[in-house]
Amino acid sequence: MELLPFFEWAETSLLGSIGKTYGGVYAIGQSLHLMALALLGGTVLLTDLRLLNVVLRDVPSDQVIENAHKWFKVALIIIMATGIFMAAAVATRMYYNSFYWAKMTALLAGIVFVFAIKRPLLKRPHKEINPLVLKSVAMASLVIWFSVAATGRWIGFS
Amino acid sequence: MLNQGLFNFAQWLDSFELSTRLHESYYMYNWVESTHVVSLMLSLGMLFIIDMRMLGLTLTNVPASKIASKLNLPMMIGFSIMIITGLLLFFAVPVRTTQSIWFRIKFVLLIAAAINAWLFHKKLNESVSTWDNEPKAPKRLRYAAGLSLGLWAGIVTTGRLIAYDWYDCYRAQSQFITWAAGCMAE
Repeated sequence: MELLPFFEWAETSLLGSIGKTYGGVYAIGQSLHLMALALLGGTVLLTDLRLLNVVLRDVPSDQVIENAHKWFKVALIIIMATGIFMAAAVATRMYYNSFYWAKMTALLAGIVFVFAIKRPLLKRPHKEINPLVLKSVAMASLVIWFSVAATGRWIGFS
Repeated sequence: MLNQGLFNFAQWLDSFELSTRLHESYYMYNWVESTHVVSLMLSLGMLFIIDMRMLGLTLTNVPASKIASKLNLPMMIGFSIMIITGLLLFFAVPVRTTQSIWFRIKFVLLIAAAINAWLFHKKLNESVSTWDNEPKAPKRLRYAAGLSLGLWAGIVTTGRLIAYDWYDCYRAQSQFITWAAGCMAE
């Protein structure tokens, strides 16, 4: 399926025009994106470092993870909303940017990983799960979300 | 006087070959900048969790002192990485950055955030034994946590705006902007 016409349409859409015309609004979108990234990073690190027994070892991991997941979802929604806004303004350029596609792949992998693997697994009592599995999930999660952030930053450099 | 001093300092930094090499190195400069941004996840991420606990927004069933003390180390590691990479970014582009109004506002906000954090921890240590298990911190600490979130939102925003040249000295600016940005040269 050819995606270029969709990206060309996105750039001429109202969202794309706003981002293109008003530099200040675009910059605020970028800032919100970064702050949401920080919140998402905080919840991911809190969850994964707890599973790795690095922080809050004396607090049950189920408790930490349930609390963190609520804010993870909030952060993810803000990241996606501001990300769509930012990408729309420069959509055609994004289409030809390999880091953009790397980030989208990493983000999709992250979302699938969280909602199809990590959450269903961690809904079970953690004491019943093999500690090695918990640690592997935490390591995989850290690698995936670090990749999302790093590839996102490199979009601007290429 | 102050602006002239800052400008001279920036020019002195700019005279180092390493400054030019860092600025002109595609990979090195971008890696430093990426590390600066990605370390937000550790530093601000942990700070958000601590402030949100004080505001009663998360982990309300865990003692506040425990959250603050256990997340302090990863947060400080994150801030250390941010400071080191931030200094390197400044060293790579000292003259333009010194004359950026956004950088100047960011610097003032950073000082305000540091003072707020110091007062917050002082007050937290003094009073935490009386409310540690409460879902929310006392009003004064909640204000400090809210102020911390606001200041950091300002720091992130002004940091992002440094990249934009709307108020750069090479453009025609109002007298106030010229003074506030400390324009000495284009």
